[in-house]
Amino acid sequence: MAVLTVNDLCKTFGAGTARANRVLDHITFDVRGQTFVSIVGPSGCGKSTLLNIISGVETHTSGEISVTSDAGKPARLGYVFQDPRLLPWRSVRRNMLYVQDADDEVTRRRVDTYLDMVGLGKHGDFFPGQLSGGMQQRVGIARAFAVEPDLLIMDEPFSHLDAITARGLRAQLQDIWAQSKKTVVFVTHDVVEAVELSDRIIVLQPGGRIFEDITIDLPRPRRQSDPAVATLQAEVLARLENMKAMTPQVAAAG
Amino acid sequence: MSNPVIEAPPTAPAVTWQEGEVLARRAAARNKRKRLALLVAGWVVLLLIWQVAAYYLPFGTLPNPLEVGAEMWEIIASGALVSDFMASVLKTFAGFGVAVLVGAPVGYLMGRHNYWKAFFHDGVTVAGTIPALTYAVLSLIIFGLSNLGPVLAVALVSTPYVAINVAEGIRGVDQQLVKMSQAFGRSQQQIRREVYLPTIVPYMFAAVRMSFAVAWKVEALTEVFGGTNGVGFQIRNEYQLFNITGVIAWMALFIVFMLIIERLVLRKLEAKVLAWRPEERVRT
Repeated sequence: MAVLTVNDLCKTFGAGTARANRVLDHITFDVRGQTFVSIVGPSGCGKSTLLNIISGVETHTSGEISVTSDAGKPARLGYVFQDPRLLPWRSVRRNMLYVQDADDEVTRRRVDTYLDMVGLGKHGDFFPGQLSGGMQQRVGIARAFAVEPDLLIMDEPFSHLDAITARGLRAQLQDIWAQSKKTVVFVTHDVVEAVELSDRIIVLQPGGRIFEDITIDLPRPRRQSDPAVATLQAEVLARLENMKAMTPQVAAAG
Repeated sequence: MSNPVIEAPPTAPAVTWQEGEVLARRAAARNKRKRLALLVAGWVVLLLIWQVAAYYLPFGTLPNPLEVGAEMWEIIASGALVSDFMASVLKTFAGFGVAVLVGAPVGYLMGRHNYWKAFFHDGVTVAGTIPALTYAVLSLIIFGLSNLGPVLAVALVSTPYVAINVAEGIRGVDQQLVKMSQAFGRSQQQIRREVYLPTIVPYMFAAVRMSFAVAWKVEALTEVFGGTNGVGFQIRNEYQLFNITGVIAWMALFIVFMLIIERLVLRKLEAKVLAWRPEERVRT
């Protein structure tokens, strides 16, 4: 069953004015449950706008978009941002509980389970300021998984981390994902990262069209050292180079 | 490329943060001892100057520290200390309570909305510039000889401090945290309690610190002119009896009391409430 359905979606900033700027141009795709989908593309291709529309922060101009949950309840979304965005005055555990709707025994146990999964089971009583940047981002990831979202939105969560830390966190994310099988929409400009993590990559091109929809059919867990991963990464990169050459120079769009 | 990185957790720094914190705490303890020694030296020098001045000034103008000390002890032993200090403390706190009730909402509006900032800005600035003495006199004119005079004076002096600091605190709220809270579907009330309030708390402490010293002085001053009890009232009593030793003894007790509140009560409370801040953890 499709968790996220996007049908003929358009977004024009300043529609009807002389300075109308179309950032998403007839986008259609859907994301089935329990899949990990990456949206990649150069800056200005409308990635963040698409994300904002999915999360309801921004409205769209035309077309349809829906996020469904099983059992007809309102869909629950989880977020991981570029930076950890933790409350500095609350302990790690209280930060995780803050975004939960209940504070009962079951919730607490779930929070601790996800903290364990990101390797911070012993750090529940620490304040964010006592953790390194990478550890804080792991708390951010655990927090998003712990709300058990129907759709988990990750907005370039590793872009502010150093390469080594980011690599460790990608491996960890794969493990958590394999255990929880949440539906993930992962936005990144890093194709290499997208290939390592995703079942499917949707490539947006400047002007806000889908350039390609690539299925990544590699066994998991994937490790960067795996030659098959490296080969595919190179291949996808080459296709994107190709896109750059083919795309006419479009005015940069937000 | 054979790369074992995935199996290893992110690399640990040479000095872990726990070790770093221990080192920082040791350095802080060393500094604390040094500061304490200088503090004591400062007091000794001050008392020496006082002693010398008392010796050379005409008899009856300045009692020496020992005489004042004896008088202080008498005040403490008589029980007047407790009753009159409590009276002054209660009035100060009542005035400060009023200041929070009035100043915090004003500050909140000023921090949240530019319109309200325009509305309140000049008023608050003017209120903060008026000399405290003016407030004392004004309160006496309004309330005459009563306990309400000092309360009003303290409230008038403290309100601008509270308003300005709360406004500053609200402007300091991390909008990223607000957006995060909204993304996770938190209610306005939760956001106020979990994001806005904790951001304001350090600013409130700053407001208390800044206004407390002034508030105390105004409170005592108002009591001197029109109090029926309290520290200022006692100072006037002694003055009317030409008992300079008594005046200085009450003044000295007043200073000691202020130091106790500022150093022990406020700072301890602040360290406790703000334990999440790295600098607080090292300092205490």
